[in-house]
Amino acid sequence: MIKILLHTVLRGLSRQKVYSLINILGLATGVTCTLLILIWIEFETSYDTFHQDVKQIYSVYENQKYADGDIFSVYSTPSPLAETLKKDIPEIENATRIVSSWGQLTVNVGGRNFIEKGGKIVDADFFKIFSFEKIYGDTTNCFLNPNSIVLSQKIANKYFGDINPVGKTVVINSKYKFEVSAVLENARENSSITYDFLLPFNFFQEFWDYDLKDWEANTFHTFVKLRKNANRNDVRKKISKIISKHVLNSNVELDMQAFGDYHLYSINKGSAGPIWYVRLFFIVAIVILLIACFNYMNLATARSERRSKEVAIRKVVGAQRRGLVGLFLGESLFFTIIALGISIVLVELLLPEFGDMINRHLELNPGNYKFFFATIIVVLLTGIVSGSYPAAYLSSFAPIQIIRGFSRHDSALVRKILVVIQFTMSVALFISTGIIYQQLAFLKRSDIGYNKDNIVYVELGGNFNNNYEQLKNEWIKIPGVNWVTAANQMPVNFANSTWDVNWSGKLKEAGDILFQLSFVDFDFIETFEMNVIQGRTFSKQYGADTLQFIINESAASKMNMENSIGEKLTIWGKKGHIIGVVKDFNFNSLKVGVDPLIIMRNPAAFKYVGIRIGKDRQPVIINKIRKSWNKILPEIPFTYRRLSDDFDYFYQAESRMSKLFLSFTLVAFIISCLGLFGLASFITERKAREVAMRKVFGANMDQVFHLLLKDFLKWMLFAIAAAWTMAYFVMEWWLNGFAYRIHIGIGIFLISAMLTFLIAFLTIYKLISSLSGIAPANMLKYE
Amino acid sequence: MIKTNNLVKVFRTDEVETTALNNVNLEINNGEFVAIMGPSGCGKSTLLNIIGLLDNPSQGELHFNGYQVEKYTERQRTNLRKENIGFVFQSFNLIDELTVFENVELPLLYLKVSSSERKKRVNEALERMNIAHRAKHFPQQLSGGQQQRVAIARAVISKPNLILADEPTGNLDSGNGEEVMNLLSQLNEEGTTIVMVTHSPSDADRSHRIIQLFDGHVVTENMRQKL
Ligand SMILES: Nc1ncnc2c1ncn2[C@@H]1O[C@H](COP(=O)(O)OP(=O)(O)OP(=O)(O)O)[C@@H](O)[C@H]1O
Ligand SMILES: [Mg+2]
Repeated sequence: MIKILLHTVLRGLSRQKVYSLINILGLATGVTCTLLILIWIEFETSYDTFHQDVKQIYSVYENQKYADGDIFSVYSTPSPLAETLKKDIPEIENATRIVSSWGQLTVNVGGRNFIEKGGKIVDADFFKIFSFEKIYGDTTNCFLNPNSIVLSQKIANKYFGDINPVGKTVVINSKYKFEVSAVLENARENSSITYDFLLPFNFFQEFWDYDLKDWEANTFHTFVKLRKNANRNDVRKKISKIISKHVLNSNVELDMQAFGDYHLYSINKGSAGPIWYVRLFFIVAIVILLIACFNYMNLATARSERRSKEVAIRKVVGAQRRGLVGLFLGESLFFTIIALGISIVLVELLLPEFGDMINRHLELNPGNYKFFFATIIVVLLTGIVSGSYPAAYLSSFAPIQIIRGFSRHDSALVRKILVVIQFTMSVALFISTGIIYQQLAFLKRSDIGYNKDNIVYVELGGNFNNNYEQLKNEWIKIPGVNWVTAANQMPVNFANSTWDVNWSGKLKEAGDILFQLSFVDFDFIETFEMNVIQGRTFSKQYGADTLQFIINESAASKMNMENSIGEKLTIWGKKGHIIGVVKDFNFNSLKVGVDPLIIMRNPAAFKYVGIRIGKDRQPVIINKIRKSWNKILPEIPFTYRRLSDDFDYFYQAESRMSKLFLSFTLVAFIISCLGLFGLASFITERKAREVAMRKVFGANMDQVFHLLLKDFLKWMLFAIAAAWTMAYFVMEWWLNGFAYRIHIGIGIFLISAMLTFLIAFLTIYKLISSLSGIAPANMLKYE
Repeated sequence: MIKTNNLVKVFRTDEVETTALNNVNLEINNGEFVAIMGPSGCGKSTLLNIIGLLDNPSQGELHFNGYQVEKYTERQRTNLRKENIGFVFQSFNLIDELTVFENVELPLLYLKVSSSERKKRVNEALERMNIAHRAKHFPQQLSGGQQQRVAIARAVISKPNLILADEPTGNLDSGNGEEVMNLLSQLNEEGTTIVMVTHSPSDADRSHRIIQLFDGHVVTENMRQKL
């Protein structure tokens, strides 16, 4: 039976090459996209699962509650928390703090200097919680020795080459001596925790002179491992109030997130995290697969006029309907399996490109049983969905029909509906892509309140202010350098906030308002070309000017002041006056709005130097900047960044995803067009006789053309209307996630309609021109 | 073997109601060779299709081998058909995608006959129909006469006790027609019951009995002397 099935299918396949090719290509494209997306989803969901105890690991985070009812969730927690949790909560077996090395460190190895940014400071429990593989040495006791350093394999290789470096010495910032006690594997691609090397906390305390007993400063990630069988919700209850035990009037409640969710889910309600993309593209995968299945259904049913004879004969000689359903399902499965073969090759070819697009390193791993089963499910589903309608339809032919000739079973309507759905989905995808692109372009060029172009900045370690003064003096002399300033953070990602702000008219009921706080040098406002709308900027004329504040418009309105200039402000107990108000500028992604901001001059906090340079001959200017740097700081390599690059980085995820979306939209469109083409050629075949007949009796082709076109356009209009509605509502919902958004314009809708009509027109044209080439005699012979 | 009792078939379309068969009573015995004749549109094919369980009567009874079958389900009818009845059509009705061999083999697949047995029986049938040399060809590569011989091979392969033939020579020239009729006569002599619709008096001459239909009625039953 299988053999004869194969025979029928294979012969049908070679006899109707175009039909088969369209079918297989459509399915292969659909399956390829689905597999690519599944591989990616598999990767995203595999994050951190390689830790043996991942089910017991949690990340502790703070829910900060503000007066306006906002809850702001952050992973930053106070330093003593980890130790306290471990001591006070019996279910918590281990706890560690993790913090980055705060800027770059200079590592000296046997006389060579390396600038490193990827160091992490951790507690000894780090090694008990996480299961990064050990390559050399021992991690059980290593951080009991405050001079231990643990290297990643990459760094070990870079410093010492291909040998076991345990016991070797490195010197950090020419002062702190460490002995290598272990080498760990490089953090994997799917690890949320990354590290180049790990240092113990003694270093952190000494280096930054940081008070590790302070409950009020939030700086560290805290990870805990629960004992086996510990109840997660009990622990959540127990930890919730811990901060308020140590901090008066605290607005913070603690909670914890399963480490397995750390990568995918955001702890802030309202922002979705990568899971959003995972779900979105899962839907896209299903849509594309459906479009491909519809294609198959469509073509298979269109072909049914031929198949009906076969079906009827089989029934005459004894086939039951059930057997025939099996036959057609078998056939669609067979097509799907051929398509899968092509898909595997395509996936293999496209995976690197696809990986680049989403900035992931993806691999097709045949040993991955999850992927294997997913593939089988995709094939079965595709085969069964594709074969369902044709099987139901074709097996319904009664044998009597071959004897009597065929009354036209009307599958035409179903087929038209299938094409309409295909086009609806494709057009909706097309419009969505267009709107996503418009929104991104809008974000990139919208007025952010300052001039982000032509700014380069450098991070300065060591004795900042001493170096900074020297550098500034040199740099400002370079022609093409317009402004030089310093700050604790660049206005691309402000992350330093406080609610400890008081002013004279502050109402009790106003409660806590979260203010962003920025520490800047003279000329900051000038360098970034921000707009002062009231008062003045910081200036040397007024000495150090450290107890004066500049606020932004949002802050002014939150403080509810008519004229804020001269008003008193107390921050962290420091009293000062407001001297200026700047127009709101965006210091975060435009996805979020502008928070109230206070700017003050505080040289102790400076970390970055920002330089505004001229538009022309920038490489020359930057080269001169480099030369001065090398003269003053010869031991530290010069590295710089452009502010506009950072800005683009905000939208990287969106930008990648929209490219991806575009690609899949194109695919969907192509499959739909294949479907339309296939359908058209069957109509041609069926209409050939009719047209021949008409020609015999003198009809002209224009009339036939108009007739067909009218029919097609009617259905296309249907598809467009459905797609417009769908795209409109989905995109409104998406845009509402942005603080700054475009309003949906009619343009992209019109373009989509024109494109669809063009495709329909071309298809009909193709159909008609092939019909008009037929000599009537040829057709009438075969009645 | 076959007995009908006031068989009526009415076709209803939107506009008209056609009574194709009107109280048809007839009996066909085992081993008979019966020809059905009559003018075009008188209901010959309709009758044959009902006897062959391809179509349902509107009223009346149909007995097949002593069973009353007109109310059978699709499933039961298929089972009865595949074991007892072979069909030969005017337009051959072979499956284009299958070779001659596979076309003939098809009924055996549905009877779940083993592969070696199938091979043997198909080859025998093809030998017998004198087209064994064409076993690997596809239907379109054969002449009309050859195609009809393949169709007959397919009809007899399951060793049915009844063969229904609707104008089996209608698309053939006299030479090929003659050959087909010889095959049918031969099968009848071996014991197969044959019911054949035809317009050709010379073909009808081969039968034992001619049933004349007119406008859905049986007009005469003409017993013939067996030669
Ligand atoms: N499916 C149908 N729907 C409506 N009427 C039908 C149908 N099939 C047959 N008829 C009508 O029933 C009558 C008998 O048809 P039938 O095919 O049995 O004739 P016939 O004797 O075989 O004719 P011919 O010798 O031309 O083949 C005709 O009037 C025909 O129009
Ligand atoms: Mg007839």
